[in-house]
Amino acid sequence: MALNLPDENERPEDRSPLLEVEDLHVEFRTRAGTAEAVNGVSFTVDRGETLAVMGESGSGKSVTAQAVMGILDMPPGAITGGSIRFCGRDLLGMSAEERRRVRGEGVSIIFQDALSALNPLFPVGWQIAEMFRVHRGASRSEANKRAVELMDRVHIPDARRRAGDYPHQFSGGMRQRIMIAMAIALDPGVLIADEPTTALDVTVQAQIMELLAELQEELGMALILITHDLGVVADVADRVAVMYGGRVVEYADVFDAYRRPAHPYTKGLLESIPRLDQVGSDLQAIGGTPPSLMDMPLGCAFHPRCHYRRETCVTTPPPMYTVGPERASACHFYQEVLDDHGDR
Amino acid sequence: MGRYALRRLLQAVPVVVGTTLLIYWMMWALPGDPFAGRCGERACPQDYIEAMNAQFMLDQPLLVQYSAYMANLVQFDFGVTYNMVPVSTLIAQALPVTLRLALIALAVEAVVGIVAGVIAGLRRNGYFDTLVFVSTLVALSVPIFVIARFAQWGLGVNLGWISPTVSNEATWAELLVPGAVIATTTTAVLARLARTTIAENLRADYVRTAIAKGLPRSRVIGVHVLRNSLIPLITLLGLDLGSLMVGAVVTEGIFNINGLGGLVYNHILRLDSTVVVPVATLFVLIYIFANLVVDLFYGVLDPRIRYE
Repeated sequence: MALNLPDENERPEDRSPLLEVEDLHVEFRTRAGTAEAVNGVSFTVDRGETLAVMGESGSGKSVTAQAVMGILDMPPGAITGGSIRFCGRDLLGMSAEERRRVRGEGVSIIFQDALSALNPLFPVGWQIAEMFRVHRGASRSEANKRAVELMDRVHIPDARRRAGDYPHQFSGGMRQRIMIAMAIALDPGVLIADEPTTALDVTVQAQIMELLAELQEELGMALILITHDLGVVADVADRVAVMYGGRVVEYADVFDAYRRPAHPYTKGLLESIPRLDQVGSDLQAIGGTPPSLMDMPLGCAFHPRCHYRRETCVTTPPPMYTVGPERASACHFYQEVLDDHGDR
Repeated sequence: MGRYALRRLLQAVPVVVGTTLLIYWMMWALPGDPFAGRCGERACPQDYIEAMNAQFMLDQPLLVQYSAYMANLVQFDFGVTYNMVPVSTLIAQALPVTLRLALIALAVEAVVGIVAGVIAGLRRNGYFDTLVFVSTLVALSVPIFVIARFAQWGLGVNLGWISPTVSNEATWAELLVPGAVIATTTTAVLARLARTTIAENLRADYVRTAIAKGLPRSRVIGVHVLRNSLIPLITLLGLDLGSLMVGAVVTEGIFNINGLGGLVYNHILRLDSTVVVPVATLFVLIYIFANLVVDLFYGVLDPRIRYE
């Protein structure tokens, strides 16, 4: 089926962004109460771009990804507001059947733990081939052939022979490559990588990131990289959305964000990176603990942990202040934060 | 896998020897003389008792009796009962009946139990789930002989849909209701197990992947979830096949079915070990075999299970 992906030759002014998330709200309704996991998240991402979504556990980054994919557990999850548009089409207003077709074909995702994300009982080649058989109606042999090609493409040695092997017979890095092969099988417009390297050791992490960058270049897809690894972000991302307490608190070009953060939380994250030129000094941690999603602080969610806190922060939630072109911060005192960081 | 199967079969040898010896010894230890009460009102002549004792070696030490008996058994010579009926004839009559009954019960368990459990697991806390919960609770709490009597009275006597008792031919159709009665407990357990397993697997990461791949729901459930849920269900079914073959003495009695269970039961009452021991041996072999098949099936269902 055709998804009407935007034509490369189309005039740019006619084109809406490939993926556009606007004011997304997601709640989890449990017996213990309602948790506002995502509280007004907006971002856009376009072909060939890499957007890093950064934040600590519970900041709502994975939930945002699941909402975009349409794989939220509903209930207890519920999308209570906002819109998600892919190629200009509203994903939330679609029929279940239309939405299903977008998954894998338009937007696809890879997860943190490839071992549990792959079905343990089917050969990996079969699991990749399933994409072609279901979405394209390909024959068994044709689908298998394409699966082997994909395994080759993600640099799995001896792909033809290994296609019959099961997930547990592969190493962690190879399993993640298989996940990637499955995700890019149908040449999707957007690939979401939800902490793709967290479960891997450092050398393998680098290889996987390299592979993602290489594939993105070849396929021209948009990459949403969800991570809490600041190093990875600096290496591959174009732009970064920093999330805290279910909101995007800073949205910026990755270079700007690292050089001069415009939000105290981003600043705290950057300062917490151990630095080789300060060996022996204490690590800089952000004091306090992340807020409970059940019981968000009034005003700015970050205010209990913030050095810039004033009366306003406790009472009034900050809007997204435009800090510059393509740059925004959810801090009443962003100017102060910007100025403080000039000496770095 | 072949070596594994062979090793498992060899392990069966000491199990068979141990269980048969135990059964033989227990039959021997039962109080009473099997030949004393066989001559109606009067006492049996001493000559007769001595001749029978000599024929069935009951005057020999237990181990001698047992060895001679087992030596014949491995040559497929099952001997005759104390009534001089060949034991092989009795088994040949009862085994097909029990087999039919067991297969019917197994089919009911597999179809009703798994289907009800899967649907309940997919729609947890829904109307159907509650229905399954309540009916399994009833099936598990009411004793099987009550269900059997109730079916016999309701379907057989009152409505006249079935014959209240089964004829000697014990046809498939006649065994349908008794088979379903025998299946109730396991069906209920299976339904609950299937519900839990399905509900658990629905939350698994690979199911999220399957949905993210854009597979239709029917495929996500029918291929990915179901395949992963099969192992505990197959285990339960396999083990139950063993106990079904052993026969349901009470249910067989109620419906007048002449199966293996009833055969053993009647001959225990008559202190006739000539039937009890070979049939018990057969039970042991069936149980071991059913277990082996289940274990080998794991390897087919789950590639992570290997046999060394």
